[in-house]
Amino acid sequence: MVSAHTLTKKFGDLIAVNGVSFSIDPGEFVFLTGHSGSGKTTLLRLILRELRPDTGKLTVDGKDTSQLKVKDLPAFRRAIGPVFQDYKLLLDRNIWENVALPLEVRGVKPADIHSAVRMALDLVGLAKKIDMFPGQLSGGELQRVAIARAIVGKPKLILADEPTGNLDPKTAKDIAKLLKDLHSELKTTVIMATHNAEIVDQFTLRVITLDSGKLINDTPKGKYDQAS
Amino acid sequence: MTKHLKTALNRIRRSPYQAIAAISIMTMTLFLAGALFLLSAGSQAVLNYFETRPQINAFFKVDYVPPQSEIDRIHSELDATGLVKSFHFVSKDEALTIYKDLNKSDPLLLDAVTASMLPASVEVSAYQPNDLSVLADKLKTEPNIDDVRYAQDILGALTKWTNSVRVVGLTLVGTNILITFLIILLIIGVKVAGRREEIVVLQLVGATRSYISAPFIYEGVLYGLLGGFIAWGIMYLILLYSMPFLVTFLAGIPILPPPILFMLEVLGGEMLLGALVGGMGGLMATKRYLKT
Repeated sequence: MVSAHTLTKKFGDLIAVNGVSFSIDPGEFVFLTGHSGSGKTTLLRLILRELRPDTGKLTVDGKDTSQLKVKDLPAFRRAIGPVFQDYKLLLDRNIWENVALPLEVRGVKPADIHSAVRMALDLVGLAKKIDMFPGQLSGGELQRVAIARAIVGKPKLILADEPTGNLDPKTAKDIAKLLKDLHSELKTTVIMATHNAEIVDQFTLRVITLDSGKLINDTPKGKYDQAS
Repeated sequence: MTKHLKTALNRIRRSPYQAIAAISIMTMTLFLAGALFLLSAGSQAVLNYFETRPQINAFFKVDYVPPQSEIDRIHSELDATGLVKSFHFVSKDEALTIYKDLNKSDPLLLDAVTASMLPASVEVSAYQPNDLSVLADKLKTEPNIDDVRYAQDILGALTKWTNSVRVVGLTLVGTNILITFLIILLIIGVKVAGRREEIVVLQLVGATRSYISAPFIYEGVLYGLLGGFIAWGIMYLILLYSMPFLVTFLAGIPILPPPILFMLEVLGGEMLLGALVGGMGGLMATKRYLKT
């Protein structure tokens, strides 16, 4: 699903991602860990093709991201469901409209949008709050809306960048469990970036650890690497 | 399309002052464009009117009645130049009829004049206004022709005026369109900047450039359509209000009132121009945010 080969990304003199290589199979759930500034977000932005690598090769869903042209990006991104730490919800749209967004931009018929949004909101447990606006929801609920938006288009890959970063410990665990449950139910590949050791250790899943842009650990059934 | 239009209308409603500014500048520019177009079209119509009228009137001596052979000779000599569009002989009796028709409202003038007092004449029109002087010079050499009058001076002045209106008009309108485009670009640019977070989200969930740009382009188009309509309305009202004065000023030149169809075409042109300027402004405003 995702394959990186000696991937490097620099911002001026700063090497954010430094010669990283890994491969993630379809249907895997992978934790991407490391302290702040280790390169997790940059790596996710490279996968989402918000950034281009300076050197190396990154293939997502069989597509070399360096070769993608601007006009190819919408179709490419429709295969990915992104979840962000700051939710990135549209404040002037209600929950229903926020979740429907990925389908609306694809020109999906209203009836199909209706059933898909209903299903996504059922899965995240927010079916009763469809008319509410983001300003009326708690942090945990906002992240659930963001997750519903990420899964509504049935993506092949979910990229969650510190989805629990703004949440209290209990809600953070709930969100991580929700992502794991959705992964089990939908069989979607999930890459979740986090520096929350408790959450990583809650599951026994593959852990890729970055430190100063370098991949220092890739364990199939790992725990949080405290050394990082 | 309906969805994007609704979005554009919502955005206009939510920022009324920006919308008023955009529509006002659009109205001003399109009013100027429309007014100058009407002035130019009117001048052209007056010019065409003069060009299609018999432009040379050559009057025989008052006490002279030209024989048919002389009229035919003059006709054939003028025809030989290849410059004549039409040739018409006006006899003394015909001249009296024309005189009576022109002065039918004044019986005193009618009683005092007889056919013998009026000169016979020939009316000659040319294909090109510039050829009038050649024909006039030829007629002046005729011994029995007393006076030759033609509208060369009027046509020359009118042609100059029409050309000036076009040049000044195009320059003024071009400059104003550029300024309007920049203001629309600025107004919509501010809105785009205010929605850059939304644009980023839309891009990340797979929206195409056209999907993101469409509401902003529609917004610009709506400003243009409204501005065009208002400008046309103001212009038409001013034209209708000035009609009595203009009809008197143009002294029988039948170009007023302008046909409704023509005015509707002007409306279409104004709205199209406005929509193009506004739409381009909207497109350019979003372009810089859609590079990645």
